[in-house]
Amino acid sequence: MKEYVLLIVSAALVNNVILARFLGLCSFMGVTTRIDTAIGMGMATTFVITVSSMADWAVGAYLLEPYNLWYLRTVTFILVIAAAVQFTEMTVKKVSPPLFQMLGIYLPLITTNCAVLGVAILLVEGRMSFIDATLFGFASSIGYSLVMVMFAGLRERLALADIPRLFAGPPIGFIVASLLALAFMGFSGMTS
Amino acid sequence: MVDNSANSTTDFSAPALVEGFAHVVAIENTMVWLEPEQTTSCGGCSASSACGSKGMGSTANRLEARRFRIENPANLVVGERVVVGIRENALINASLTAYAIPIATLLISGILAQWAFGSDLATMAAMVAGLIFGLALSRANASRLSLRGDLAPHFIRRARAGETCNIE
Repeated sequence: MKEYVLLIVSAALVNNVILARFLGLCSFMGVTTRIDTAIGMGMATTFVITVSSMADWAVGAYLLEPYNLWYLRTVTFILVIAAAVQFTEMTVKKVSPPLFQMLGIYLPLITTNCAVLGVAILLVEGRMSFIDATLFGFASSIGYSLVMVMFAGLRERLALADIPRLFAGPPIGFIVASLLALAFMGFSGMTS
Repeated sequence: MVDNSANSTTDFSAPALVEGFAHVVAIENTMVWLEPEQTTSCGGCSASSACGSKGMGSTANRLEARRFRIENPANLVVGERVVVGIRENALINASLTAYAIPIATLLISGILAQWAFGSDLATMAAMVAGLIFGLALSRANASRLSLRGDLAPHFIRRARAGETCNIE
């Protein structure tokens, strides 16, 4: 159990997808103007990254490795991610059409989110077991969601603050993001 | 000098409605079909032809896919522009229902299977079973929320001519 906790802390905080690996920055800046949209995007991304981590591990272990096809991993994982997003979209639509009306808009954005592909490549390079790979994907996406919600909260406050005109909007957003990244550097060294 | 004292005392804990504009596109007995107005510039910029997000479809397709139906409380007619609202926490409830429940059951069943059998194949099968069980739970919870009207937008009023959202 300790091994799982360390894996989760490492993926979510120490090697945070956004602030340590600098992946998924477009959605980090684009979907963080409100806390509820950040939560919606974070949850959808968590679901897709976890499901695609499982699928990517299975494809890597049972297809790419036995047939020595590792050079095809990027294109294969893109296909798997697109399929996972499509599966999620179809499932949400089938499970509850009203939910799809509310949440469907975030799903196509995840297909082009580099954080999803980055996590898939990291987990196969890490040569993890199936459960470790799934937990790594889940924890990475929890770290992504955590940073998205924190940043959305900060931006909601910034929208009300008296900011010099030169820095208003994206410039102050980037400054806050850099301070957040510095704060997350405090976790470095806790686990590998 | 801008006075921000009013902002610092704003009550953020009060339940609020998120408002948006929509057009009446069809009438069906006592219900009306509404289409939300485009609120994002995605797909509308000069780089849209080369953009990786163009798989999202055209603006018209996306809006058509997001049509929704509400009761017709004010004898609305096709072409009218109205203000609709949804509870601010509706998106969070919807996200929890659609994504958090299946992920929780998936992970719990996977960890239990790994602890009991220690095999990747058994863990994989348990996770898929957990995911299906979680989706069934989601469906039940979504029906409950839907019956309570928590997921549906509500008609607020007719939009005034030239009215836009208050984005500064």
